[in-house]
Amino acid sequence: MTLAEVPAAPAVPAAAVPAAARARGLRKVFGSTVAVGDVEGNGIDLDVPHGAVLGMLGPNGSGKTTLIRMLLGLTRPTSGTAELLGRPMPDSAATVLPHVGALVEGPGFHPFLSGRENLRRVAASEPLLPTRDIRAAVDAALERVGLGAAADRRFRGYSLGMKQRLGLGAALLLPRRLVVLDEPTNGLDPAGTRDVRGIIADLHADGATVVVSSHLLTEVEATCTHVAVLQSGALIAAGELSSLLDADAAGLVVVTPDVDLAVSTLRAAGASAYRDGGSDGVPAVAVSDGPPAPEIVALLVRAGVAVHEARRRRPRLEELFARLTEGAP
Amino acid sequence: MTAGTGPAAGGAPATAVRAHGLPATPVGDAPATAPLGRLLAAEVRWVLRRPRTLVLLGVFALIPVLIAIGVTVADRRAGPGRGLIGAVAGNGLVLPVAAMTVSLALLLPLAVAMAAADAIAGEAAAGTLRGLLLAPVGRLRLVVMKAFGVLVVAVAAVAVLAAVGVLAGLVVVGSAQGQLVTLSGTTIGLGDALGRVALVAVWTVGQLAAVGAVALAVSALTEHPLVVLAAVLAGLIVFGVLGAIPTLGWLQPYLLTSGWSAGVDALRDPLPSDGMVTATLRALCYLVVGIGATVATMLRRDA
Repeated sequence: MTLAEVPAAPAVPAAAVPAAARARGLRKVFGSTVAVGDVEGNGIDLDVPHGAVLGMLGPNGSGKTTLIRMLLGLTRPTSGTAELLGRPMPDSAATVLPHVGALVEGPGFHPFLSGRENLRRVAASEPLLPTRDIRAAVDAALERVGLGAAADRRFRGYSLGMKQRLGLGAALLLPRRLVVLDEPTNGLDPAGTRDVRGIIADLHADGATVVVSSHLLTEVEATCTHVAVLQSGALIAAGELSSLLDADAAGLVVVTPDVDLAVSTLRAAGASAYRDGGSDGVPAVAVSDGPPAPEIVALLVRAGVAVHEARRRRPRLEELFARLTEGAP
Repeated sequence: MTAGTGPAAGGAPATAVRAHGLPATPVGDAPATAPLGRLLAAEVRWVLRRPRTLVLLGVFALIPVLIAIGVTVADRRAGPGRGLIGAVAGNGLVLPVAAMTVSLALLLPLAVAMAAADAIAGEAAAGTLRGLLLAPVGRLRLVVMKAFGVLVVAVAAVAVLAAVGVLAGLVVVGSAQGQLVTLSGTTIGLGDALGRVALVAVWTVGQLAAVGAVALAVSALTEHPLVVLAAVLAGLIVFGVLGAIPTLGWLQPYLLTSGWSAGVDALRDPLPSDGMVTATLRALCYLVVGIGATVATMLRRDA
């Protein structure tokens, strides 16, 4: 697992700014099934820095939801410790959770109440929401998730996407320091998915920390600053998205009309090169295992290849994810 | 686990977290909770908006009316019947007490069990218990809130029975000059009679509180509301059978149901108090055990 050696970006001193969420040796076993942690008995270590948008990735059953539930104090870990906003969970739940908005395991609401009444009930239990602000907060949350028009319909009649939106609305009733969204785009149409992306971007811009689990990799790639990849309960990669992708970067992409000449020149120099059509159809050459980038460019120019563009080849998160999860046991 | 320990910390620390243009409150040291009154009000609104609660209250309103009609029709055909229902004939103020006593055997405990089933197991099944614990409503407060909701259902059901019972008794059955002829043969005035109806109502709520506490304890253990209903129904049947076996007479003082006919004592003159007092003390024991078990379970429960 080469990703273990991902260089750490300049870290905020841990003592000065505790992580928004932190797991140390966190492990959960249901009977003989290890939900989070590995079979050797080790747990998960994870830090979510303040202000980060962490995408939690993993196939179904990889332990994403259990990890989130332990962080939120909904489930007691078998071993290890969880911290939220610098305080131990679940012991500090009463202190920390008022500052945390969460949508876990799908939206839970009462079918016989309207969307607005459901949110008012949730709002009544929010410690930091003054009673006089409840009505306005509910209206604002409904508007924010695009349910203004359907607010007075019964939850029973909501579509899957509308239910999901209402769940999101409940997490956004008041300003939060940390927002945890478990599969927020489940059942949403493309417009809804775009809305969620916008909401996450807003939260990020406001300085809140966001933890979002998803199996939609493009969503994570578009919205996240950090990634944690889980597989069979084990954390197989974690870090800043850009450094993870850079670490996986293999060589260069050279955009040129003289593809054949470029390929032969590079192969003569000992690099492995091949035509890379690219998605946009612009002719390009992918190079790897060759001399360093400046030399490659100089080589090509000397050989008379017209170089329009040369960039590091960054894999899509999808490729990275597929390689990680298929390579692991 | 060798790979992917601590990720890089990136970005500047968030100094002011904002959303909706409002500053987020800094994380303090003190635990924060929503005001208890607001939680209780929300719970009562939720309980009373539930369609099944309203149907249930409608059924309880029908019971005294049905008894009144039945007694009046039977009264015209033949002489007065025997037993408590028979005593209603021509003596309307017996009706509310009769309605409460009859309902206490099965319908009232089931109604309370249903409320208790929805209170915790039902919320878990709907996925809303998670939301309450994440708000967070403290786990102890949650039990207080839920117990209050169940108590409200018990009070509402008994109040409907008593109020409709008095009305139907006076209007449909009728009574001589608004007086109550006691089972002992004496006659007491309207005010005194209403006082006795109120006494039976309060006493009945006490018995139901015991049922509700035990049902809540079951509710805290499961996420299937039906399990709670089944447990209470099974308990009632088993207690009834045990209470009917003469050789198990020594068991009687421990069975909640064995004192449930004591409400009729209110129709005697002078009022014998020992039956109702014993039943109340027994209910208190069940209440303490039930609430204790509920708290113990809820403090550990995964949601």
